[in-house]
Amino acid sequence: MEERCPITDSSILLIESFCLSSVRFRGEGYQEGFQRGTKRGLHNGWRHGASHGANLSSEISFYYGFAISWKCLLEHQSDDRSRKRLRALEALLNLTQKFPLDDPQSVKLQEDTEKLRAKFRQVDISLTRCSHNNSLTLCVLFL
Amino acid sequence: MSWVKAASSNSEDVFDENADDLYLQSKEWASNMKKRIKDGYVDGVNAGEEASLQMGFNMGFREGAAQTVAVGRLRGIVSAVWCWYQIQHPEKPVPSRLIDLLQQVTQHAEGIINDIRKTLENPPPSVSDVSESMEDLEVKPAGCEETDCCRSEQEMDLQGSHTQQNLRCESGCAASGSAGGLDLLVQRCIDLASELELPQELISHIEELRNM
Repeated sequence: MEERCPITDSSILLIESFCLSSVRFRGEGYQEGFQRGTKRGLHNGWRHGASHGANLSSEISFYYGFAISWKCLLEHQSDDRSRKRLRALEALLNLTQKFPLDDPQSVKLQEDTEKLRAKFRQVDISLTRCSHNNSLTLCVLFL
Repeated sequence: MSWVKAASSNSEDVFDENADDLYLQSKEWASNMKKRIKDGYVDGVNAGEEASLQMGFNMGFREGAAQTVAVGRLRGIVSAVWCWYQIQHPEKPVPSRLIDLLQQVTQHAEGIINDIRKTLENPPPSVSDVSESMEDLEVKPAGCEETDCCRSEQEMDLQGSHTQQNLRCESGCAASGSAGGLDLLVQRCIDLASELELPQELISHIEELRNM
């Protein structure tokens, strides 16, 4: 081996420059990769976020539109039943307005979503109690 | 001084051997560098992606959410009117205009969500994507010098940020292309609400959707 590849000054220099270059090149490669990965992460994250946000916002906004409409329709009715429904509608409206749609990392997102859905079901059933099929159809339409 | 001549003649041969060795070593060195670059590159890509995923999600979430507020509310309103009509007039069939409107609004909402999903699933290739492929094939543009490469890198960075904006624009444009559709649905809802003599306050809430 030594006869074929004698250690010469030039070889030592070559080995030394290899080591230094390795570190440097790994750094450059890493940085380049990091930039690329950042762009990819932003794109993929944005894709999932946009889809999720659009779906959730569509649902929450539906509850708001539903509640505000019924509030307008029942506002001038003074019977007890209507008053009870109005209170439930106010509670539903309150939940939609407090919903953290601008904070996707909110710890309350999941909990508030479940509360809203439960409240909507309660309101929907109470409003359409006379006609059971209506609430079922509404749920089907919504889903 | 024959040894000098011998040494010189030998040194030519030795030089040639060293040249061969040096050539092989430098080739091996270049190959190792390339491998090491790739190694670091992959780690860098993974780290970069992990660091930016949540930020991308948060931005996308807010923008996606903004696109369905109006149509979501309209669907809620039309659903409420539909329910109300059935309760108020159990003996009558629900007007077909009302049923049609509810279906159209539902389809419109689904269309917006599908557009968002489709636009971002198949983004147009960016300059950086194409450049990278060319690098893999070791295709160099003609007359490429260091300064030109550096300039093109900057352009790629700009392209990267433009790509993000283009994606937002495309998904937004897909939705806003249907903004005309939403305005039409809002108008139909207002007409129907007037026809059914619904409270003015409700009609005002429907009109608000035009400005969203």
